[in-house]
Amino acid sequence: MTVDVLIDWLANLVDFPELAFILAVLICAIPAFLFIAVYALVAIYGELKISSFMQDKVGPMGQGPGLHAGKWGLLQPVADALKLLLKEDIIPASADTKLFILAPFIVFIGAFISFAALPFNQNLIIADMNIGVFYILAVSSLGVIGLIVAGWSSNNKWSLYGAMRSSAQIVSYEIPAALSIVVVIMLTGTLSMQGIIQHQDGLVWGILPNWIIFQNPFTFLAFFVFFISGVSECNRTPFDIPEAESELVAGTFTEYSGMRYAFFFLSEYANMFIVSGVAAVGFLGGWHSPIPGFLEAPGWGLFWFLFKVGMLIFVMMWFRWTFPRLRVDQLMNICWKVLLPMALLNIFGVGIWTVLAGR
Amino acid sequence: MSKYFHDLWSAIFSSMVGMGITLKHMFLIRKGNVTLQYPEEKWPRPERKIGYDLKDYNVIRSRLHHNIDDCTGCNKCARACPVGCIKVETMKVPKGTDLGTTSNDTIKRLLVTRFDIDMTECMYCNLCTYPCPEECIFMTGGPNSSKHPLDYEYSEYDRRNLVFNFAKVTQEEIDKYTIPPPEEQQKDEVESS
Amino acid sequence: MGIVHGDEMVLNIGPQHPSTHGVLRLVVKTDGEIVSQIRPVIGYLHRCFEKHCENVSYDQVIPYTDRCDYIASMNNNFGFVIAVEEMMEITVPEKVEYIRVIMAELNRIASHLLALGAFGLDVGAFTPFLYMFRDRERILDLFEMTCGARLLYNYMWVGGLSHDLPVGFLEKAHEFLDYFEPKIKEYNDLLMYNKIFIERTSDVGVLPTDVAVNYGVTGPNLRGSGTKWDLRKNEPYSIYDRFNFEVPVGKGQMGTIGDCWDRYWVRTEEMKESVGIVRQALNELPVEGDVHEALPKKIRPPKGSIYKRTESPRGDLGFYIISDGSPSPSRVKLRSPAFTALSALSVIAEGWMMSDVIAILGSLDIVLGEIDR
Repeated sequence: MTVDVLIDWLANLVDFPELAFILAVLICAIPAFLFIAVYALVAIYGELKISSFMQDKVGPMGQGPGLHAGKWGLLQPVADALKLLLKEDIIPASADTKLFILAPFIVFIGAFISFAALPFNQNLIIADMNIGVFYILAVSSLGVIGLIVAGWSSNNKWSLYGAMRSSAQIVSYEIPAALSIVVVIMLTGTLSMQGIIQHQDGLVWGILPNWIIFQNPFTFLAFFVFFISGVSECNRTPFDIPEAESELVAGTFTEYSGMRYAFFFLSEYANMFIVSGVAAVGFLGGWHSPIPGFLEAPGWGLFWFLFKVGMLIFVMMWFRWTFPRLRVDQLMNICWKVLLPMALLNIFGVGIWTVLAGR
Repeated sequence: MSKYFHDLWSAIFSSMVGMGITLKHMFLIRKGNVTLQYPEEKWPRPERKIGYDLKDYNVIRSRLHHNIDDCTGCNKCARACPVGCIKVETMKVPKGTDLGTTSNDTIKRLLVTRFDIDMTECMYCNLCTYPCPEECIFMTGGPNSSKHPLDYEYSEYDRRNLVFNFAKVTQEEIDKYTIPPPEEQQKDEVESS
Repeated sequence: MGIVHGDEMVLNIGPQHPSTHGVLRLVVKTDGEIVSQIRPVIGYLHRCFEKHCENVSYDQVIPYTDRCDYIASMNNNFGFVIAVEEMMEITVPEKVEYIRVIMAELNRIASHLLALGAFGLDVGAFTPFLYMFRDRERILDLFEMTCGARLLYNYMWVGGLSHDLPVGFLEKAHEFLDYFEPKIKEYNDLLMYNKIFIERTSDVGVLPTDVAVNYGVTGPNLRGSGTKWDLRKNEPYSIYDRFNFEVPVGKGQMGTIGDCWDRYWVRTEEMKESVGIVRQALNELPVEGDVHEALPKKIRPPKGSIYKRTESPRGDLGFYIISDGSPSPSRVKLRSPAFTALSALSVIAEGWMMSDVIAILGSLDIVLGEIDR
């Protein structure tokens, strides 16, 4: 919506429609990039603190700026980012230089352009396409190409292992994730993100908000199928076999350092945001307040959306610091033998339910 | 089929149990925290009292310290050292010279011209401290600040600073106590090592 | 269609690798994820321990034994000193025996905690590792207040101990045991009974008893295979015949007997038994007595040789000492339990996947300081 408005507005100001288009895209893209960067800093800090608290330690702490990492270690992610920026950028002599340089950007672009379709509140969305969900599912799987390129071009056996594993994993887990989203589309009858959210207004079962997760048992299950597949697509523990640090050193990212590594890192966190965002939009009512009609203003809409996303990201971190890692074949077993049948069952169940309950 | 669902259930159940444990730890962090903010807080060092007889004894092995005033130059510590990080050189003094006594009232007979401990070589086995008749070589690091103002962080920027020279003897003293060349006294030579 | 065989790839795991427990190098032939051949390459941590012993006196050997199995230094000290004591026919006082048993068992707990935590880390669970390290720290605190060192103790001497127990040790030890026993259950809930962990470890890397015996695998790895062999029971040394404890053996609860899960389970059970032993020893510890009483003036064992083995946390730790009557040993041979465990790795891990090799390596609990010596 925003982009269209901007394009129209700019088209009146400048004569060339192409220039207006590029300007509008830049005006939308730069804040999105800044948002990802700031969010990544917050998420890194959150991960440091959550992991530390779960492990009975306090994580980064400090008494003030200077050598310490700020009050409560608040400057730690900034210091980390600065360290990554200042680090020497090493390209291995035997690497395929062009692909090696290209790979982090492919991965990041896949994560970055997905943000275009995420509705932050009633108005704040870069492009409310009528194929929003489809678009996100499509572009977020671009990242896997980047991972394969990274693994191949590094000319390192560990990287290759990681790339092979991650491509198999991400491609497989796309299927249950997409099939779970089909449930949402069946219920709402639209692919537009805002349309899906608007459909979740009001109450269901008398007291619960009319979020899709609460509409029937199958959607409840579908949420978990989607979320687990999403965790796997983000390569987070217990599905982090592509970068399993105790097996594959650092997997795909073994040869990367400095800013290039930071881009992988950034896209991992951005992917977490997208998966959580889609889950929040598709199943948890997006920017709707948990109590229908209460605090529904656009400002609060932003808050509720970020809150839901934040909680889902917290659960991902919680998974990571609790579970061991799965093996490759077990990972595939879970995908094909557990999640996929469950996703199909959900579609079937939701269809039956809709016909019988007439909703 | 029942195994499939049983496995599924046990996976969900055991995951919930594990997540419960980590969540409990997260919320009880104030109680369970074990981190010490190092430069501000310090590791509580154990009491130095050892044994049932409450005899004071320092056990923390952070650095070897030598009390040169009590040293008689007997070289026992250097012989006990498995790695040879203690280098002692002594010098005989003319008869009748008063070098003073140690705190155990042992008369010092040798002038210790060199007493170097190379802490980069030391393996902290504590073996040198037991044979010492004057108990003047010991490991420090415990709450022993009343005895000497040393603490237990002995990091240095330069490894040469980890070679400690304990001998306090000056060149004038060496010259003063040097026994004249062996024309008159053939038996007494300047002894080294 | 059958299994597709691709070209084999030779992969170096280590010496710089996050989960090789030191500086081990595994030359692995893989076909995709499947590992077809494993060849451990050792020696990156070789420090000439045995040759060193020939050049220093007996009491100076003890700090070097610390550095062999640096996770369980007390047990290494213990093995060496009772071998020398048997050569010299020294009887040590009751109190010394009790303190030695307390220290050895506490160190066994500390060593098993590290083994289990590192195993958890190898299969990807980070948090149990830190919980276990936190508890290990408390044991190290007990050691620190006793002898001043946290890792390399040089605590047991031929004929005695370097220090008596400090004031307040008994209370602190009891406090630790009371704190620690419920924690074992928490760790088991968090890691051992986690379904993912069970999936990763049960039926993986099965070490059958006959293979284990043929390769000389001892300790928890052998007991995980279902063989009841514990030198503390079978050949009681020191005063181990006075304590009541069970020898846990693997029962294959989650899969086959002798799989990685059984080895993990045996270690947790052994920690519980060790807690029991320490409790008994603390209660029976004589108050009177001097730990320096039986120290010999000169350690000069008579001409001859001895092979004495003790149960270290990793298995049968044997010291073969030849004495020529001089103050330093003529020859010392250390029979390393971790070495034999590593030698069995290629048998039990071939044919498994890359991730399993790491898990099996973790379950064998090797310490490179002892393997390379």
